[in-house]
Amino acid sequence: MRKFGLHFGLILACVVVLLPPLWALRTSFVPESMSYSTEILPAFTLDNYAGLFEKNRFGTFYVNSLIVALGSVVLALPFAACTGYAFARFRTGGRFARFVVLATQMLPPVALVLPAFALLRGAGLTNSLPGLILVYSALNLPFLTWILMGFFEGVPVDMEWAAQTDGATAWGAFWRIVVPVSLPGIAAAGVLGFILSWNEFLFALVLSGPQTATIPVSLAALQTSNGVQIAKVSAGVVLAILPLVIASRFIQRFIIQGLTFGGVK
Amino acid sequence: MASIELDRVSKIYANGAYGVRDVDLKIEDGEFVIFLGPSGCGKSTTLRMIAGLESISAGELRIGGRSVNGVAPRDRNIAVVFQSYALYPHMSVWHNMAFGLKMRGVSSSEIETKVAGAADLLGLGHLLQRKPGALSGGQRQRVALGRAIVREPEAFLLDEPLSNLDAQLRAEMRLELVKLHRRLGRTIVHVTHDQVEAMTMGDRICIMKDGRLIQHGRPLDVYANPADTFVARFLATPPMNLVGAQLEHEGEDLVVRVDAETRLTVPRKHYLPYVHKAGGPITAGIRAEDIYETQAHPEWQRISVKVVAVEALGAENVLIGMVGRDKPVEIQARLGRHFFAPVDSTVDLYVDVEPMHLFDAETGKVVARPPLPVGR
Repeated sequence: MRKFGLHFGLILACVVVLLPPLWALRTSFVPESMSYSTEILPAFTLDNYAGLFEKNRFGTFYVNSLIVALGSVVLALPFAACTGYAFARFRTGGRFARFVVLATQMLPPVALVLPAFALLRGAGLTNSLPGLILVYSALNLPFLTWILMGFFEGVPVDMEWAAQTDGATAWGAFWRIVVPVSLPGIAAAGVLGFILSWNEFLFALVLSGPQTATIPVSLAALQTSNGVQIAKVSAGVVLAILPLVIASRFIQRFIIQGLTFGGVK
Repeated sequence: MASIELDRVSKIYANGAYGVRDVDLKIEDGEFVIFLGPSGCGKSTTLRMIAGLESISAGELRIGGRSVNGVAPRDRNIAVVFQSYALYPHMSVWHNMAFGLKMRGVSSSEIETKVAGAADLLGLGHLLQRKPGALSGGQRQRVALGRAIVREPEAFLLDEPLSNLDAQLRAEMRLELVKLHRRLGRTIVHVTHDQVEAMTMGDRICIMKDGRLIQHGRPLDVYANPADTFVARFLATPPMNLVGAQLEHEGEDLVVRVDAETRLTVPRKHYLPYVHKAGGPITAGIRAEDIYETQAHPEWQRISVKVVAVEALGAENVLIGMVGRDKPVEIQARLGRHFFAPVDSTVDLYVDVEPMHLFDAETGKVVARPPLPVGR
């Protein structure tokens, strides 16, 4: 009986979590006119997806999002790895530097978006993908630094010492030993950074233009004067979460290994 | 030539605390030296300073006569084997062993030969393609040694390399290391807190406490002639019995008096070195193996011991008992395997007083007397 209660509770929790994305999946295949129907699948169509790509240039925005999210991770990760390692191993800057890194995450994004706009406009980078990549890299850097610092603290210093007595320089020990050993953590940090950039809305809204909009901005644009095109929005949402589902499927074990890395010695 | 000289070497941390203080030591080329001490005594820090992994705050370190204070670890031509083995988990055994050679730009054909040679020596031939995660503790230990050997360094620094192994494997590896030292003839500095390793492996032991080098010498010399009560207790199992007493004149003799009943006469030949301490408190140090259940020699002296426990170890029985009536002191004695006594009974035991040491009751330093010849 207790087991039944437990399973019932778990199933209920799953339903609560899964219902919205499942409903979005269902609505994405239903014609716009029947999207609010209470039937599970009143009709089946791929028009919503086709419409997104044909009329709403969703393909362009999709590629924009991929470029920006991947670009910002690729740019930020090496810097974050070096900074995180310096904090972890050499206590660079002491507690204060660590706090400052964390403190940047406490600012509301809206406080940063206008200065970022002013900076990008000065550099002529508004309405451009490189501009967005730069801003997202800067936003990701403290977060990735903090995560990677935790991983590097978990790498036994003996291993680096062994490499150094074996003939490696301090940099060589980092590059040849610490980085490969921390790859699960670095992968986890990369995926988390990708997700953050992929989902980011406010900066993309302010800093991008009609050619450089990303998925979250283009989804918001589906709210027209004729009302919200809920079936198209659903199709857009399904497409938007697709890379995250794929990434998490392949990287799941890295994330779990990564998130428990510091705790298990 | 890889003699290692420590000239008043100290490690001072940022908060002003000393990790290592004024260590003076010369390790000869090819010598096997053991650093022994409890946790936190500075022995591993000293080893890391020799390796270049820890900066030297004061003093000078010379390897092969060359000052190496500011020299990077990779330029010291030494190899370190760590307690945790510190194998590279993402590399196979072969790559672990080849790493140091690659870093030094050795040609790949030479790497092949050297790794194969070291693997042969340590019986690792069949494991070369495995990752460290797929090896047992003993095998990892061998790989760590192999990684050190393959580079043919001038000196090996071993930081508690056997402490993660089970008792049987540890005994085997002790012997292997001694054999390896004979075969390679290189300088070895071995850090441990295990007295058996210290006594059996090295040419010399260096005992450290609170960052200071307290005593060094051949293992049996140090065992027979400890510099203070710390060394006396640390270097034996069971530890040396230390009994607080008064040193008094009694006729022509000096007597160590624990109480009215328990007293030991100091051998005549030790009268002169000890006489200046007469009339004051003293700590008498008696090894557990210098106490016997029968009086086989007329100079052995009787003491009464109240039995607390008898631990039968198979080859011998260790008696734990109390001596003295007013302020009883626990002592341990290594007796024959046929000796048994009921708990709470009182037995007469006999002390060979010749090896007995007297220590200053306040400082714990040994009261100097001519050293006991080893193997008398």
